[in-house]
Amino acid sequence: MSARSAVLPRRAAWLEVTRRLPAATWPFAVFGALFLLGGVLRPSLLSLDGLWSTAAFAMILAIASAGQTIAIVQGGIDLSIANTITVAALTFLSSTQHGTLVALLLALAAGAAVGLLNGLAIAELEISPIVMTIATNGLLFGIVLLAFDFSQLTDTPQIARDLTSGKIAVLGTEIPAILPLGLALLVGLQLVLSRTGWGRALYLIGSASEMAALAGLPVRRIRLLGYVLSGVLGALAGVVIASYFAQTSVTMGDTYLLGSVAAVVVGGASIFGGSGTLIGTLGGALVLGQIATLVPVLNLGVNVQQLIYGAIILAVVALYGRRRADV
Amino acid sequence: MSVAVPARGRGLARLTDGFAGLRRQGAITPLAAFAVMLAVYTAINPDLFTRIQLQTLANLIAPLALVALAELLIVLVGGIDISVGAVMSLAGVIFATQMEDHGAGVAAAEALAAAVACGLLNGALVAYGRLPTIATTLASAFIFGALANEVLDRPGGNVPVEVTNATSGELVPYVPAALVWVLGAGVVLWLILNRTVVGRQIYGAGSSASALRASGHDPRRAQLAAFAIGGALTALAAILLVGSTATGDPKAGDPYLLNAIAAVALGGAAFTGGSGSVSGTIAGAAVLGTIGSLLFFAGIESYWQYVIGSLIIVGVVGLPALTRIVRGRRGAVR
Amino acid sequence: MLAARALSKRYGPIVAVEEVDLTCLGGEVHALVGENGAGKSTVAKILAGAVRADAGEVTVGGVALPGGDVRAAHRAGVYCAFQELALVPDWTVAENLALVDRPLRGRFSRARAIAGAVDTLARLELDHLDPRAVVGDLPLADRQQLEIARALTGDVRVLLLDEASSALTPPGVRWLFARIRELTARGAAVVYVSHRLGELAEIADRGTVLRDGRVVDHFTRGSWTEDELITAMAGQPAERAHPRPAPARTETVLEVEGLTAPGLDDIALRLRAGEVLGVGGLQGHGQAELLRALYGALPAHARRWEVAGRRVRRMTPVQAVRAGLGFVPEDRKRQGLALTHSVGENLLTPWLRAAGPGGTPLLRRERAWVDRVLAALAVKTTGPRQPVGALSGGNQQKVVFGRWLDRDRRAVLLHDPTRGIDVRAKHELYEAIVRLAGEGVGVIWFSTEVEELVHTCHRVVVLYRGAIADELAGERLTADAVVGAAVGRTAVAS
Repeated sequence: MSARSAVLPRRAAWLEVTRRLPAATWPFAVFGALFLLGGVLRPSLLSLDGLWSTAAFAMILAIASAGQTIAIVQGGIDLSIANTITVAALTFLSSTQHGTLVALLLALAAGAAVGLLNGLAIAELEISPIVMTIATNGLLFGIVLLAFDFSQLTDTPQIARDLTSGKIAVLGTEIPAILPLGLALLVGLQLVLSRTGWGRALYLIGSASEMAALAGLPVRRIRLLGYVLSGVLGALAGVVIASYFAQTSVTMGDTYLLGSVAAVVVGGASIFGGSGTLIGTLGGALVLGQIATLVPVLNLGVNVQQLIYGAIILAVVALYGRRRADV
Repeated sequence: MSVAVPARGRGLARLTDGFAGLRRQGAITPLAAFAVMLAVYTAINPDLFTRIQLQTLANLIAPLALVALAELLIVLVGGIDISVGAVMSLAGVIFATQMEDHGAGVAAAEALAAAVACGLLNGALVAYGRLPTIATTLASAFIFGALANEVLDRPGGNVPVEVTNATSGELVPYVPAALVWVLGAGVVLWLILNRTVVGRQIYGAGSSASALRASGHDPRRAQLAAFAIGGALTALAAILLVGSTATGDPKAGDPYLLNAIAAVALGGAAFTGGSGSVSGTIAGAAVLGTIGSLLFFAGIESYWQYVIGSLIIVGVVGLPALTRIVRGRRGAVR
Repeated sequence: MLAARALSKRYGPIVAVEEVDLTCLGGEVHALVGENGAGKSTVAKILAGAVRADAGEVTVGGVALPGGDVRAAHRAGVYCAFQELALVPDWTVAENLALVDRPLRGRFSRARAIAGAVDTLARLELDHLDPRAVVGDLPLADRQQLEIARALTGDVRVLLLDEASSALTPPGVRWLFARIRELTARGAAVVYVSHRLGELAEIADRGTVLRDGRVVDHFTRGSWTEDELITAMAGQPAERAHPRPAPARTETVLEVEGLTAPGLDDIALRLRAGEVLGVGGLQGHGQAELLRALYGALPAHARRWEVAGRRVRRMTPVQAVRAGLGFVPEDRKRQGLALTHSVGENLLTPWLRAAGPGGTPLLRRERAWVDRVLAALAVKTTGPRQPVGALSGGNQQKVVFGRWLDRDRRAVLLHDPTRGIDVRAKHELYEAIVRLAGEGVGVIWFSTEVEELVHTCHRVVVLYRGAIADELAGERLTADAVVGAAVGRTAVAS
């Protein structure tokens, strides 16, 4: 018995390392492959500028999907992200007269309130996350229509635009500011998820919520904080989107509803919860973004893009997310 | 307990049985809610029972009720279908565009076939491919939406007035056609779910797939059947919508997704599977569909319907847990 | 009638069953016995078609039976009443009886199902079951009888009963035996899987003993004693198989008076430091509820409730852990572990602090403790980073148990911790429990194996219908007394 266990550690350790790699790294590999493919088909795409613009688009999707990642990791989902983005963006642009920072804080506070509402209902009233966040999404839509006057919105403040679409010189090239800032945000969040007690508890709750409760973890409180954070991140995404694209509309958040779930799933997270990283979500967003770049260039039409999105999600889930066989 | 029960006792037993069954499936609250809504509606707008208004209301509720029933089937087998909106759009544009050249009957058949095919694809991937339902239908939502856009990329199509009358007019005075369609579909679905083996298997698959297997059934077939029947219902919803709006629109079905899920939740179904009722779901859809109209007649800005609808959903779904907390008896760890 | 040859089944690296042969003649009741985890249930499931064997073959009446196909088994006349009841909770009694083996295409008449159910229930002398009742609402004993009834609906040539009497009171057991005798009189074969030896004396014609997945012994009616059988099942005499705990200390670590909850009726209990208190009784009589209530996983109230001297008004698992309690739940896969997470993370779960470290930094800080626990329990794993799902059942259970070691616990509650684990792991767990008690931790141990209660516990309380039927200690603590109290009979002082 002891002889066998001496041989096992080395081989099993290697297996564990490779097994842990794939889920988060393969989206980046696929992105790389798609980028090169684009370059082969249209050499003009193979430029740093092209890379940065796709990456910026992906980074925005990734930020919008950050809150979704946290919701899915804990075994839930956030279908109110669409209108959280809209409400936050509108709040931001309605309050800039008090200063950009105050406007930002108000927008984030709105997001926190949304998250608090979701979290309380899901954690305390035990309403299914799908149902509650759908209800919240509807509620927010009503608020968007009732509480905001589009004619009263201000232009995006310069500093907001600088921090998102403004260019920063790095290593001799210019990249959109949102890239390093977004990356820092995602890495920081991931560190919180992977290296704090709260973050690991979130993963445990997503994998085995009954076990977490029976081991004495304060599951309700941890869930609540998770949804509040999702709300805040959704609000942040709303501000970023409004700042980067310098426009708002009633439906500005809609593509991020299913799009955020798609990015998280393609990034390797399990839809059931318990696994997934923000970096993986970034990878998923990059894949989706690169497809969105390739499609018009190859003159394929937006329908093909949607078809490919669907096919990619199926492929990822078929590779990593199948349920156990029953017999 | 003796076997022989007098005839009248049997009938009464069946009634109390039915009531207990509805209560168990969570249908009492939405039915009560709808009754209340209807009462309030009539109070605010006594003209409700004119022919035009009955038709308008029925046409408003019917597509949502049918899509909600389709969603109910998937929830019963323990999953959630995010592609119902896209399937509805696809069936709708097929119906709208094929009518001109092939007539309404053929067009309807094609729409039906397409929707059932979508359902079978979803069902095969979930049941036999063992893929998670929510991720699969997320992917298929993209795919079916793209297909819908391929068929028709902007609102259009040619809908003759006979079709509109058949779907959205009146069967007989004071009885809207849409109402007949919904109730008819509801009755057929109820019969399937409660009086056929496959229907019972659908409940069984959601309740406990392993137990179902131990009884010699194959849960996969039940799941496939659920998706296929759901597809048929979605097609009917699309046909009614196209009939009443007299256009085909590749994005028409999208808003119905979230409302269908909300209607199912309002209807008392358990999202873990195995529990839910046709009548509760229709009542849930009716409540959601009526809010906007009710507000309009009450002179309240119609945007409030989103707020009120959401509050109703949270209230109804959260009620059991809320009463538990208020009574100081927090639930056990589950 | 039924012949199985060289059945083998592995789950990953774990051998559940190996080279098992079994024959059961028509008209015979053949018992299949063994301890928890010996493989009895796996054999039954293979025979029933619920599980596909890796190797071996099964024949019924000389005709080979295809594996892994419940329908084929039913067609061959093989029916099984499963240990984990295979009833659909949302169906009614009538539906569970009527919807066996029905083809997909077909109408279902509720009225006919109910009428059929009434007939079936009458034929089987189960008149107290209401065909219209929803199965999920029924008490466990009724569900167990329904599970058996369901197995009797077809044309039965071979009936497999897997722990079918675990929740049945003596009248229920008599009912079961009457049904068995009806079957054997018709020439059917009955395989009776159990570890309740008292019943076997009455009902079993022949028997096979399993240990560690293999056949180790056979016996025939009248030719065996309980001690011999226990020794064969355990591989060593009972006394040696079970370590004795050191005497308990005087300090009280847990005390309740008037503890009431759904399924519990006015329980009074006192646990001392270092005491091993056993909880026995038929399945479904409140044992699970008692443990969960004490741990706060089930809402309960009591007139008096103290943990380590401190008063408690309402308990939740969060408070329980803070107060010094620990809990090993019934289902290690779903309630005890997060299978995709590492061994270390599972051990450290109760000790996570929201604002504190987690993951790798936490493991680094707690590495010494983790290594100590893994060594103390002899957990076979490649290290704290291995996903706990890759471990065998016994080692998984050690991890669930180990998270409470060396963490200043006052009392630990164990729900049938040795169910379904291999013999070696089981004995290692016994040692660990006794060692834990020796350190002054109180242990409340609910076990479905009477031998464990009798030999490893200081005292045993037996629950009947949610209340304490009897408390046994010292000389009064015998297997007979435990079984007797379980059915409401208090033991007569001898």
